Amino acid sequence: MLRISRRVLVAGAPLAVLGVADESFAQDVVKIGAVYPLSGNSASAGNYSKMAMEVGADVINNGNAELAKILPLAKGGGVPGLKGAKIELIFADNQGTPAAGQNQTLRLISEEKVAAIIGAYQSGITVTASAMAERYGIPFVTPESVASNLTERGFKWFFRVTPVAIDFAKAYSMFLKEQKAAGRKVDSVALVHENTEYGNSVSSVIAEVFAKDGLNITQKISYSANSTDVQPQVLQLKEKNPDVAIFISYTSDAILYTKTMKELNWKPAIMIADDAGFNDPSFVKTMSSLVEGLISRSAFAVGKPGTVPYIFNELFKKKADVDLDDVSARALEGFLVLADAINRAGSTEPAKIQAALKATNLPADQMVTGYDGVKFDDKGQNVLASSLITQMRGGQYVAIWPKARATADVILPYKGW
Amino acid sequence: MSTRRALQLVLALIAVLVLVYPLLTSGSPVYSRLGALVLLAAIGASAWNIVGGYAGQVSVGHAVFFGFGAYSAVVVYTHLEWPPIAGAPIGMALSVLLAAVIGVPTLRLSGHYFSMATIAVAELVRVLSSTSEFLGGAQGLSGPPVPRGALDLSFISATPYYYIFLIVLAGLLGLTWWIERGRMGFYLRAIKDSERAARSLGVSAGNYKLQAYMLSAAFTSLAGSLYLTMFGFVDPESGFGILISVKMVVMAALGGAGQLLGPLIGAAILVPLEELSNSLLGGKGAGLTFVVYGAIIVIIARFLPSGLLSLVERRPTAPNSAAPKSTGKPVSGHAD
Repeated sequence: MLRISRRVLVAGAPLAVLGVADESFAQDVVKIGAVYPLSGNSASAGNYSKMAMEVGADVINNGNAELAKILPLAKGGGVPGLKGAKIELIFADNQGTPAAGQNQTLRLISEEKVAAIIGAYQSGITVTASAMAERYGIPFVTPESVASNLTERGFKWFFRVTPVAIDFAKAYSMFLKEQKAAGRKVDSVALVHENTEYGNSVSSVIAEVFAKDGLNITQKISYSANSTDVQPQVLQLKEKNPDVAIFISYTSDAILYTKTMKELNWKPAIMIADDAGFNDPSFVKTMSSLVEGLISRSAFAVGKPGTVPYIFNELFKKKADVDLDDVSARALEGFLVLADAINRAGSTEPAKIQAALKATNLPADQMVTGYDGVKFDDKGQNVLASSLITQMRGGQYVAIWPKARATADVILPYKGW
Repeated sequence: MSTRRALQLVLALIAVLVLVYPLLTSGSPVYSRLGALVLLAAIGASAWNIVGGYAGQVSVGHAVFFGFGAYSAVVVYTHLEWPPIAGAPIGMALSVLLAAVIGVPTLRLSGHYFSMATIAVAELVRVLSSTSEFLGGAQGLSGPPVPRGALDLSFISATPYYYIFLIVLAGLLGLTWWIERGRMGFYLRAIKDSERAARSLGVSAGNYKLQAYMLSAAFTSLAGSLYLTMFGFVDPESGFGILISVKMVVMAALGGAGQLLGPLIGAAILVPLEELSNSLLGGKGAGLTFVVYGAIIVIIARFLPSGLLSLVERRPTAPNSAAPKSTGKPVSGHAD
């Protein structure tokens, strides 16, 4: 008995060493964990994000000739930096609860042994899930959670690709300053916002950025999103008649404002709506004929044929039957950022992936979303994250700014109905 | 006698297993954590059991106390930079106070009306909390991102949580056991069977229901504070959401409401079921988890409507179903 085990040991030792060495040089798969809401209130967003990331993994594993001209990772045959290891995405359902998000993150780390984690859509769940990844020292990339405190926790393993409120505010500010340079009047700006967390925080960030950039906010109107009548607010606007009006609204109030403005026959020369309600498919379906020329923002616009967003959108449509949107495009972007880092790390070791993420520097032309690129600051925030500015044209939003990624020219003044 | 011996042996074996569980699962963080999650859920469900099981006042709004506990813990961290667990006594005190405020008018209601009133209060608090800046609004509040000291009770391993929860649960069950055996336990069961009969025999029903409700609130709140120290985040939905209340009820009912170990057994079945079904099926993205989870609950409810413990309790001496004679002596036979 003893002799046999000894012999096995003697024979096994070099093999074991080889095995270990082998593993660190060539892996057949690299596992990435993805924690998303696949059931519950946000299941639709989570499932579209899942499909978008699967499209991304398929492009890296099996290649896409057209994309390969722009994206180095799209040549097919897996991750070149890992000797062609294929990417395997392992999805977990966060069920829309912070507890499930954290439990599943632990499972992905300890049972599935993923190299990195991506997630988790809802900001609150990203809080708990990334805290678990931080404890275990596993890189965590969030493509979409925007709560401002996420990057203020001093985490070493946390990276955020998405733009946050301040990026939107900067985009509006730059856009308006360009309009001013082109000879349009932007001397008075009205901020109209609903009065919960979303409206309050976005409006205060816009006010801050505009003040710094010398844009005059002359009127601030806060209202409750459940209002059934916004006549007083619209009359206030009509009286002051600002050059620019910015709306931060949910869906039902967006519809209400649109109708009331038509009834009272008032419109500003430039009307901006901060995504949300004015971008809701149900708003676009029913109200778009009354808001022709409305300016909004999005992380994604299909773009011109031959560009990265256009090709990915075609691939995604084949799989999901719908276009990529603001959320799914950002998820795909986050996945591609992580894949790029793993490739450059040339290893599945968390610390090397973390170092590679810190050194990320992706150019704008490789973006699925409308970002200026990807580059992380010390807190893990993507400093090149920015927003596309879109305009309503005949029932759908088209990208009009920045110039480089615009598919149509700006048409002003606002036409409305 | 011999079956009772065997039962005692099985119980002793289970007790030993519960004590050494973290050692058995030290190789798997997921299973080790699962144990802690079961105990945490069992604390909540056992706390609910005092008023919902023993006194038969089915509260479906216990999330309000859970949320008070969780928010008290995170608020003392956010606004005073104290360790979250320091908020636990504050949460408990507030919850007892709130229970008194809710209980005095609503415990007069009977049957479904009490349940409806508790839901209404919990939903009201949930909506209010999402507009309060002090409580972090709809976005919620986070605990310490990285532990600042031992008092933050922030651990990588689930083992310390497991034993903290075990101690709290043991304390709660001990207290419940003491109540069950004492005068109050008899009164509560009498109220549950027929409040009118109990009153006619001189039991101050309103008083005892209120005491049970307040005690239950305090421990539910403690469960909320412990939840926060473990997960480090609470928002209106994860603090005051109706699902939290419902889970307490379902766990207690599944194991056996009004029985000492019922909620623990319910938690020991439902929590692993939920976690494992999510781990196995959740990633497929079809919401299969809840289909399976729901189906199992339906099956148990169909075949064992009075909880799993009824399997053990199905002895001729169990008189609990016979309502009219359940006050007075015969009950003591049941308590053994």
